[in-house]
Amino acid sequence: MLLSLSWLREFTPYEGTVEELGDRLTMLGLELEDIVHPFEAIRSIVVGHVVACQAHPQSDHLHLCKVDAGQEALLDIVCGAPNVAEGQKVAVALVGTVMPDGMVIKKAKLRGAPSLGMICSERELGLSEDHSGIMVLPDTFVPGKPLVQQLALDLDVLDISVTPNRADCLSVLGLARETALAFHLPLTIPERPLLVDEHGPESVLPIDIQAPECCWLYAGRVVSGVKIGPSPMHIRHRLRAVGVRPISNIVDVTNYILFEAGQPLHSFDLDKLEGRRIGVRLARSGETFTTLDGQQRILSQDDLCICDGSRPVALAGVMGGLNTEISEASVNVFLESAVFKPATIRRTSRRLGLSSEASYRFERGIDQNRSVWALDRACAMMAALSGGKVLRGLSFCEPKPFVPCRIAFQSSHVDALLGVTIAQDFAQETLQGLGCSVQKDETSWLVTQPSWRPDLTREADLIEEVGRLHGLDTIAPKLPAVAQNLDRASEPESRFAFWSRIKRWAAGLGLNEAINYSFVGHKDLERLGLPQEGRISILNPLSSEQDVLRTALAPGLLQTLRNNLAQGVQGLRIFELANIFEADASSETTARETGMFGLLLYGNRYDGGWPHLAVDVDYADLKGIVEHLLHFLHLQAPTCTLDKEHPFLQPCVRLVLENQELGVMGRVKPDMADAWLARKDVWLAELNLEVLRTLHDAATVGFSPLPVYPPVRRDITVMAGSGLRVADIETHIRALDMPLLEHVTLVDCFTPETETEAVRNLTFRLTFRHGERTLKDAEVDKLREKIANSLVQALPVKI
Amino acid sequence: MDLIAALDSLVPELEKGLEQAHTLDALEGLRVDMLGRKGRIARIMAALPTLEPSERPQVGQKANSVKERCNALFDARKAELEREQEEIALRLFDPTAPGRAPWRGTLHPDTLVTEEICRIFQGLGFTVASGPEVEIDHYNFEALNIPPEHPARDMQDTLYITESVLMRTHTSPVQVRTMLAAKPPLAVVAPGKVYRRDSDLTHTPMFHQIEGLMVGYGISMAHLRGTLTAFVRAVFGLGTKVRFRPSFFPFTEPSAEVDISCCICGGQGHVDGQPCRVCKTTGWVEILGCGMVDPAVYAAVGYPEDVSGFAFGMGVERVAMLKYGIGDLRMFFENDVRFLGQFAG
Repeated sequence: MLLSLSWLREFTPYEGTVEELGDRLTMLGLELEDIVHPFEAIRSIVVGHVVACQAHPQSDHLHLCKVDAGQEALLDIVCGAPNVAEGQKVAVALVGTVMPDGMVIKKAKLRGAPSLGMICSERELGLSEDHSGIMVLPDTFVPGKPLVQQLALDLDVLDISVTPNRADCLSVLGLARETALAFHLPLTIPERPLLVDEHGPESVLPIDIQAPECCWLYAGRVVSGVKIGPSPMHIRHRLRAVGVRPISNIVDVTNYILFEAGQPLHSFDLDKLEGRRIGVRLARSGETFTTLDGQQRILSQDDLCICDGSRPVALAGVMGGLNTEISEASVNVFLESAVFKPATIRRTSRRLGLSSEASYRFERGIDQNRSVWALDRACAMMAALSGGKVLRGLSFCEPKPFVPCRIAFQSSHVDALLGVTIAQDFAQETLQGLGCSVQKDETSWLVTQPSWRPDLTREADLIEEVGRLHGLDTIAPKLPAVAQNLDRASEPESRFAFWSRIKRWAAGLGLNEAINYSFVGHKDLERLGLPQEGRISILNPLSSEQDVLRTALAPGLLQTLRNNLAQGVQGLRIFELANIFEADASSETTARETGMFGLLLYGNRYDGGWPHLAVDVDYADLKGIVEHLLHFLHLQAPTCTLDKEHPFLQPCVRLVLENQELGVMGRVKPDMADAWLARKDVWLAELNLEVLRTLHDAATVGFSPLPVYPPVRRDITVMAGSGLRVADIETHIRALDMPLLEHVTLVDCFTPETETEAVRNLTFRLTFRHGERTLKDAEVDKLREKIANSLVQALPVKI
Repeated sequence: MDLIAALDSLVPELEKGLEQAHTLDALEGLRVDMLGRKGRIARIMAALPTLEPSERPQVGQKANSVKERCNALFDARKAELEREQEEIALRLFDPTAPGRAPWRGTLHPDTLVTEEICRIFQGLGFTVASGPEVEIDHYNFEALNIPPEHPARDMQDTLYITESVLMRTHTSPVQVRTMLAAKPPLAVVAPGKVYRRDSDLTHTPMFHQIEGLMVGYGISMAHLRGTLTAFVRAVFGLGTKVRFRPSFFPFTEPSAEVDISCCICGGQGHVDGQPCRVCKTTGWVEILGCGMVDPAVYAAVGYPEDVSGFAFGMGVERVAMLKYGIGDLRMFFENDVRFLGQFAG
């Protein structure tokens, strides 16, 4: 809401500075966004008096003027405007002035004649679009004085952010009420007495409200014999100062009163209202209607229409119709002042994407008790500006009169909720100052809501007002004692705490945490071959890059990779903990949100150069980190199986532990990774945090006594043909169930170059130990022998 | 007695040899040659059985003393060589050569700030709660006193899944879920992702909030002020000033916005004579919204009328930007490692 300080001062004698006012209103909940000075650009323009004016001898249109601009000597100014004449008061830009369009006025010679300034048109001053001639000022203006001062322009305008509950503050009147209350000033509403043409005819239009639940009040008057033209200067400039484009002396009045009183008004050309009657009804579905802006609108049965005898003439509370618009030829005006149900107006305004100053106010609530007052005020002003007469008779229908709430109020409740002792007198004065009437009982007060405060309906609302005026900032802070619940004290670790620990683990290990958007594009999921099924789309996405919730962390991690590759990184180790989303009809929210741990490794294994080796990360890095995490969570090593069906990983390794799917790890298919500009292998893992958390919560940690007797170690090298996996050999050895065999560890893996087919030499270290004595070499050798024989018999290997 | 002479002659010979041994390997070679199982001494002593038994002790003693002497000479030379090598190694040692650095890991600034804030509130007795990111209209709006067509819905542009399912626009639905699940008294903070249909220089369609809720008996605005003052001081320092400015949220009454003295200009409004870009010369920056829980919310969750409590909500990125002096919100979700690397763990 743009509030002009000088306009405000017409309503309350506030004499302080604009900054002080802004601060005080801010602390009352009406936050100052900005202070703007709409006429700043023409501050240095002065009033001039054209003392002499004659035609330029060398030109057919230029004039040589002598201008008194308040300086000792008269100024020679060459002026090309057709309307310049001796004796005029004009707006002068002196040499050195910077015009609103940035042009600097310089000493000049025009066809041989010197010119020491410029006489300005309204357009050159940014005051209107008029460039037909120079701006001619009233005779009373004093030469040399600043134009902005002589025009009494609104120089200081406060941009105030009005919260949705304060409908009343969307007007000068409302903000004047707050200002008066805050600074203990009187509220002095300037009179605009309505002079009805007592001798003329009566004109009352029949009003038929067919949707009384949506239209609470409808009133109108006829102003007859108007002459359409521009509004006087001060009206036009004031409207401009608060961001409204002046149109005509009729339309400007409706905007002026809207800003002043907060009541939206609409003017119809009475002669275009067929049947000279008004109907208010809901639109028929599919009905079309052309609004003032020339747009044809298709209406729904939720939209409220103002109709004449045969057709809609306005979209109630949102915008008028082209068919009854005021034109230059209009003579008789029907002026509407109404109150509509806020939700109805909002629905229409939102559905059509059509928000106006009127709809904005109707959505928030109107002071219904002042609707007719505002109408009369507007009619008085309209008649005065247009030369018309206000005809006798008020067209009026009020299906739902305003009934104020009567609220039981106890001042002790104020103290309890605010935590501060507030004097009863202060509470009473505040409520009365806001416009409430207060009826005092012995224990409780009965407070009546003012018609302009739709937000005051409950005791809590009144407490807020008392607190607001008292100042929330003056309440002494105290720490509360938090009552703790014994049952809740022993709950398992929260999801937040579990995630937090994993993040700490990952950062400690040397991974970098990323946070990607939860939404990606359908095309990202398609690129990775992820199924259509189960996706959750955004109904109103900002862009096609963000139109679906991710069903895997991979697209986000790959996006992070791409962003970093664009910056030239050589290696990346990124992790993310976030939800993935899948449709789930059984969920209350229709979505299943699964927490996932995502890990992406790319490029250089080490960040630095020497003494690190310059090598790339590989599967072993990925698997090592995953196993490290499981160990951190007290979990056993998982079963790893190849999954040849995975949409975007190849190889893809599926991790299973205790029959639960932990997730997958592997290499992003290179042709797919291409789309994210990867030039090397991208290693990626995604683990299900919900499963990990369940397993972790169930895991127990037990102590094993430390062995007393020394271990004996034997290595065994197995030549394994292609297709035989490390785990096959390990599993076979373990299955021999030798009680003395403590560990089997792969210590070397070597593929001799001479072999034609890929044969790996796998060296396992076997650790034997007896719990109660030292083992002898001979018995260990025997055991090793047994293992070797068994391997050769059971598996396609050589020892 | 030529055995004794032979043994005696070994010492000067060894002394000469040692002078020329400049490496530990050479030294070891000499030692084996002299004292090894088949060394010079051993070879000389091999002739011992040819002597008269009466001569043997004397030769034996001599041999032992020569061995001792040799060993002493070897040890001395070895120590000398080792010292020399140490000196060489020390001369070659470059303390400025880079270390073999382990990987450096980092936490996202949102995580760091979220954890810090939650830790502060946990210290004040709050527990951490969470809720879904896809939410139903009822929990996100209606139960929070924001019915359909309420103008307050304009305050939050919403991303919808269906007409009644949406991406939560704030963490406040966790308030509702918490109260539906537990009886008062309770005190929770709920961190998480939230979503708005908004994307420009100062808005991202996803960001993080932390919601706080405390409901009990006899809880007042003074307690809200105390709790948040403690929080602000813990995060931004003891000297930070706090200002409560009345505002409006549909689910709190009274409502307030909390400003803190600008941490960039110290509340002065200017830095080195230039207008402060963060507080725009006001000296204050908005940090969170709060208020006493609106009775309509208690009604929506079936709480008795005599409870009272407060709620607050803040943007994590906002706090992080102020705390670390980050100027561009969009950096939070680009995950440039040059950005991520600045906040460590």
